[in-house]
Amino acid sequence: MNFDFSATETAFFAELGSALRKLAQDRDLESGDLETVRGNLAAVLAALAPLGYLKIGASLPDPPVAGTLALMATMERLATVSPSLFLAVEMSTRLFGRALSLGEQTPAVEALAKQVAAGGIVGAVALSETAMNVENDPLTTVGTRKGDTVLISGAKNYVINGPLADCLAVVGCLEGGLAVFLVDRPSPGLKMTDRLTTMGYNGLAICGLELDGCPVPADRVIGPLDGETVLGQLKLWENQILIAAALGMLQSSFEAARDHAKTHRSGGKPIIAYQEVGFKLAEMLTLCQTAQLFAYRAAWMADDAPREANVLTLCAKVFCTEAAETVAGKALQILSGSGYLTGGPAEQAYRCAKYGQIAGISTEIARVKIGDAALGRL
Amino acid sequence: MDFAFTREQLMFKKEVIRFAKKEIVPRVQEHDLKEAFDFESFRKMGDFGLLGMHFPTEYGGEGADVVTTVLAGEALGEAGVDGGLTLAYGAHTFLCADTLFRNGTEAQRRRYIPKLASGEWIGCMGLSEPDAGSDVASMTTTAEKRGDRYVLNGTKMWITNGPIADVAVVYAKTDPEQAHAGISAFIVEKGTPGFSPGRPLIKMGVRSSQTSELVFQDCEIPAENLLGKEGEGFFYAMQTVEWDRSALLAPFVGATTYLLKKCADYARGRVQFGRPIGKFQAIKHKLADIRIFGEAARTLVYRIAWCKDQGKPLNHLEAAIAKLYVGDWSLAITNDAVTLHGGYGFTHEFDVERIFRDTRLAPIGGGTSEIQKMIISKLL
Repeated sequence: MNFDFSATETAFFAELGSALRKLAQDRDLESGDLETVRGNLAAVLAALAPLGYLKIGASLPDPPVAGTLALMATMERLATVSPSLFLAVEMSTRLFGRALSLGEQTPAVEALAKQVAAGGIVGAVALSETAMNVENDPLTTVGTRKGDTVLISGAKNYVINGPLADCLAVVGCLEGGLAVFLVDRPSPGLKMTDRLTTMGYNGLAICGLELDGCPVPADRVIGPLDGETVLGQLKLWENQILIAAALGMLQSSFEAARDHAKTHRSGGKPIIAYQEVGFKLAEMLTLCQTAQLFAYRAAWMADDAPREANVLTLCAKVFCTEAAETVAGKALQILSGSGYLTGGPAEQAYRCAKYGQIAGISTEIARVKIGDAALGRL
Repeated sequence: MDFAFTREQLMFKKEVIRFAKKEIVPRVQEHDLKEAFDFESFRKMGDFGLLGMHFPTEYGGEGADVVTTVLAGEALGEAGVDGGLTLAYGAHTFLCADTLFRNGTEAQRRRYIPKLASGEWIGCMGLSEPDAGSDVASMTTTAEKRGDRYVLNGTKMWITNGPIADVAVVYAKTDPEQAHAGISAFIVEKGTPGFSPGRPLIKMGVRSSQTSELVFQDCEIPAENLLGKEGEGFFYAMQTVEWDRSALLAPFVGATTYLLKKCADYARGRVQFGRPIGKFQAIKHKLADIRIFGEAARTLVYRIAWCKDQGKPLNHLEAAIAKLYVGDWSLAITNDAVTLHGGYGFTHEFDVERIFRDTRLAPIGGGTSEIQKMIISKLL
């Protein structure tokens, strides 16, 4: 047992923190303007690639830190800086990048993985269709072989990075299994829907896809693979990202409320001196620290005890994403009128937090799965 | 970071669970309902090595590290041992014996620790008073030095093991003009003239633990019964916080695992509308919340234990967070467990109602949740 990070990890986190502070200095990282979003993403990928950030967890040589726990702590740091930028980077690097490792590594796939790790391209994963719950509603996107290519037809919804992506990992059915089709943008037969406007994550570019006989070279098709394995792995990775996103929101909204409570005076004293405020902050910090340790332990288990990691990750996901909304709500209350102004960390977190409870595996489905694990076979 | 227990620790935990299920659990309900202390189980815990496992072997202990000691507490809860017995164990081993060991002279250690570690003697700690709970500095019990003796006067309140203790670590003011710096610690043995356990207190939960006042009326003790130095008593009392936030919380964590199993068993067997109630999503959600609470609490508790093993100074913020989380968040899941059992949950047929009652102490004992929030907010 050891609750400390190693010296290497600590040094890397410090270096990363410094790079992120520099990046955030003169940029509006939550801007909704598409060109600004594009510029922000390019800038952060360019800043993070030399640090090796984009290699962590991607089965590539020489990552600066190794292991899922270190990855979680790394992601947490970017998530604290900007919810939108974090999700954009991670959906490209960690979800798209790791999806490339699901099957046989053809030279074309390997080349893509290297480009992702170098920050040279932006990736997106297209999984959800009409429903976000892909387990109850099987995928209808289908690939059909035709010579050296596979033609893909179907529709995808809620593709993060869709409007910006250079390459899309489209998950669909192929010959009785599931496959990941690596579709370049633009491609014939590929049409992007209008950008979706969302309650939170304003600085994120999200759209749907329509695929009508879109051709993909066979060496850019991963699979067919066992469907349950593919979905399980993608959901696990996505849930890990959403957990880290929640940690970032917890941290940033708590800090905003704490700093305000220590400096804003009312009745001749800082408002933290009032128990209504001080106790609220205590509850918030309790949730922050509990969530952080929970997330770390679930991440550690992904490497140390993978068979048990799925359920523990679901537990952590439910806890962290719900805690993020609770803490953001309490932070808004403490920040009062200033917190209600658009653009502050608590206000952003309050709007973004709900996504974490819906995406990946929703908290309701997650609870059912955790309950099933407790019950065993009925 | 690494959250793994060693193979030996995990094997030990299994042994404790096996021991507790065989030797203690069959008598839990009887003692809870009768509000009777289970002397037999307590003595068996001593024989097994649980009552002083972190003390060196030359004092009758096992030389165990803190994490392993805390694991034993979790194992007791996981086996189904009631909160009354685990509270008695905590007060005895950590609040009394550990304070004696840590601050006692060699003679004091030799006199008390082996007997406490074996369970031959039962220990308690007298700190709280009727009007001085978390506000320790306002205690009014005094210890006046008269020649080679101290004379104690005052009343202690909420003393776990009070009616059955053979020895008590008692905190009293040697300098009533001072606040914390006026508090000293003393060893008082059962039968000392002027010392009586006072009236027993009837409790909602943790009923097999015996709770009472400790009354001191011109109670004379030899000067050598001073524990440590005059004026350092408050510091000694605070030393127990590390144990309070790890070993004493661990049984609650273990009880969550036990509770989850009990609820899952019931949900599998209870059929309504033609199917086991475990098939209903709402029931699965309750099971999930129990699991989530337990997993979240476990890491907080072991962080305190691990830091203590490393010799790190107590992080009061982390300690208060562990106590606040376990205390406040445990209420909802034990409440849900009762509801999940329906009418049976409200009876003594299943022990979820006992766990519900036992757990109600978690946000009160050892510093209420409000005190934890006060500590946290002051440290921000």
